[in-house]
Amino acid sequence: MTEEPLLSVRNLEKHYPIRKGLLNRQVGAARAVDGISFDIAPGETLGLVGESGCGKSTAATSIVRLEDPTGGEVIFNGGGRAGATRNGDGTHPNDVARFDDRELKAFRRDAQMIFQDPSSSFDPRMSVGSAVAEMLQIHGMSDRHRRRAIVEDLLDRVGLSPEDYDRYPHEFSGGQKQRIALARALVLNPALIVADEPVSALDVSIQAEILGLIADLQDEFGLSLLFISHDMSVIREICDRVAVMYLGEIVEIGPTDRVFADPQHPYTEALLSAIPTPDPRSTATGIELTGTVPSPTDPPSGCRFHTRCHKVIQPDDVDLDQSSWRGLLNLRDALAAGSVDVDQIRENVRTGGDLAATPDAVKGQIRHEFDLDETVSADEMESLLDAALDVALAGDPEGAAARLSERVTTPCEERVPERTSHAADHESACLLHERSSPPSPADD
Amino acid sequence: MASKKPEQFDRVDWSELSESSRFDLSINSIGMLAATLPLALLWLYDYQFVGERGATFQAIGLGRNLDPLDYFFVFTLFLFFFYLVLPLYQNPRMTRYYWAEFRRNRPAVVSLGWLGVVFVGGLLGPLVISAPEQSILTGHQPPMFLSINEANVATCVGDVVNGQCQGTWQHPLGTTRGGKDVFAGVVYGMTISMQIAFITTTIVAAIGITFGTVSAYAGGWVDEIMMRFVDVILSFPTFLMFLLILYIYGAGLGMFILVFSAFAWGGTARYVRSKSLSVSEEEFIKATRISGASTYRVVRKHVVPNVASSIITQLTLLIPGFLLAEAQLAFLGIGDSAVPSWGQLLSAGRSDLAFAPWIVLSPGIVLFLTILAFNFIGDALLDALNPEAEAESA
Repeated sequence: MTEEPLLSVRNLEKHYPIRKGLLNRQVGAARAVDGISFDIAPGETLGLVGESGCGKSTAATSIVRLEDPTGGEVIFNGGGRAGATRNGDGTHPNDVARFDDRELKAFRRDAQMIFQDPSSSFDPRMSVGSAVAEMLQIHGMSDRHRRRAIVEDLLDRVGLSPEDYDRYPHEFSGGQKQRIALARALVLNPALIVADEPVSALDVSIQAEILGLIADLQDEFGLSLLFISHDMSVIREICDRVAVMYLGEIVEIGPTDRVFADPQHPYTEALLSAIPTPDPRSTATGIELTGTVPSPTDPPSGCRFHTRCHKVIQPDDVDLDQSSWRGLLNLRDALAAGSVDVDQIRENVRTGGDLAATPDAVKGQIRHEFDLDETVSADEMESLLDAALDVALAGDPEGAAARLSERVTTPCEERVPERTSHAADHESACLLHERSSPPSPADD
Repeated sequence: MASKKPEQFDRVDWSELSESSRFDLSINSIGMLAATLPLALLWLYDYQFVGERGATFQAIGLGRNLDPLDYFFVFTLFLFFFYLVLPLYQNPRMTRYYWAEFRRNRPAVVSLGWLGVVFVGGLLGPLVISAPEQSILTGHQPPMFLSINEANVATCVGDVVNGQCQGTWQHPLGTTRGGKDVFAGVVYGMTISMQIAFITTTIVAAIGITFGTVSAYAGGWVDEIMMRFVDVILSFPTFLMFLLILYIYGAGLGMFILVFSAFAWGGTARYVRSKSLSVSEEEFIKATRISGASTYRVVRKHVVPNVASSIITQLTLLIPGFLLAEAQLAFLGIGDSAVPSWGQLLSAGRSDLAFAPWIVLSPGIVLFLTILAFNFIGDALLDALNPEAEAESA
């Protein structure tokens, strides 16, 4: 990009300390946002998409500094701050995290936020007009009549009537409240609006209206938008570019049409496959992610998605059916985590009618639970699996996991994928691409 | 003033506005200041220039004296007017909504009417009716429409029919043994009850809200220490404390109010803390913070109003406790005997219960109705101000 971005996020981190014990010692951290980077150009809409709990909202609140980020930079070049260069010590004068109180207050005018839940985003004891006008008052507009005139005009623009000024939040529907929320975000004439799932709480028909309104206002006032959603179809509707987030990291970023047409990261593929298709005859089934959903307090090593990835890489000398490979990895992880209860499974087989519950039946049941019904295509792997299950049945799941780990390992859990570039502006972080592209000199 | 004002949000020149006037008072605060200032000056005059025994208004020929309790009472009335009644008038939509909710509870509407009578009676009664005075000769006069054996009265004010002394309009509710008019006593008792209700509520609300919000927003060790202090307050034997003070200093009504409200705010503080914590998680608080509002402003404009509406219920349920406590102490004879409260009247009539039950019954019934009214209103306010709570119970 030749022109300076409005917002430039660099390696943003937000870790929540986990404290325990009498002395409140820090025993770990929930890495809600773990080093994300992206730019937003003036007038552009960037979508931030990911499943619940992946850190989207934390990213949003850290960017606008509702919460202080624990690392990285948020460089905001709007509000007359354009063209700044780095200070001598490497810090940036436009880093939001370093703003003093006066700068922060000015920044509050330039960056606003819309929240997800329309029912709790207005003070139930304040008329909506006063709630919007309060923003003006906070920033020093003491003329009550002028505040009212501005807010009435703005309510009109977002599709409500000026008479609604004196009404209370409980008198509005969810969609109307989201319009008022938009008015509140706009009233200080910001350059950037962070919209945190602004339409997920609304009906589909209302969603379209609100999205249309957002797009119109964006065109009219040249707003930049950071649009957070878990819904890919909403993202496609409104965003110029999209960043896909998984467990605190951005796994793929690129222009919306490119990402939708040609997703490069397996997680993006899985998200896209979850969009319902309007064709009733379509037989395409969504990609179902198996494996455990990891916690941000203890993210998986290597590529964070490897515990659930349907395209997880096999070692060079292994060539299995992809679903069997996934099943083997899941079984290994489950055994290591102690979540395979052999006694329980044996009991289930007994109540299922097979009173003898032969070891073979139990093994079959375990294999069934991990999608390993058919014999694994490689003999070596099949015998390893059988031996490991024997160890597990003997009451030693850790031993079984260790046995499996001899061969069932994936490069994905060992190496952190770098970002690879696919086309202009389209990047993803997956080892699959690093393999296909010529190895860089840094590699061995 | 610029001749042509931009009236659209994108034409506001913030650089000329920013930080211009940080100090803009609401009409309510201006009114409050304008009303409190003369009061404060009057108190200063009373304190500095009028002798200990002189009446406040003796310079203009009135015999009425104001003691510190009266000043504080008037102050709380101002607070009540400017921050409760006036906002209701300023926000007619909300008022109508609350009223529609409140009105559904019939007993509460009747109770409100009764409390209105007690309030107006307590406020204006003493100006119209002279204070009950001792008059041994006219003791034990019966109320209107009732009679008493002539043997029990020294002089019968009304007619004597068949040896029964008849009640008169002069003493519509009869008189006590000492000849004090019971009706006047009940009316003067209203003043005392209103003073207790308003002043304790103000003290409890002020300490409770401050303590609760500070604790919620400070967090950490401060929060821990403040809440343990609340535990101490809640487990403190207030009655014994009061007895102790009574022995050392003697206890007037002012002391009663002070001691009992100083140990009654624990529950309120705890409630305010938990409510502030839940309110501060709401998105509208984030939306206000993101606009650059200071924590003080967020707390004052959003947290406190949202918390206050739910503690109003708690406070209305606290008042009956104070009224009863005062009556109990007076009945036991350790109240302020200089104050014509309902409790004093009850205690004055307890020995004559056999032949002059009206002395106990009149203030007793009034006290009973008032306490009942507060309870009904507390219930109705809970429903009217917290629609969520009602939805849960429904």
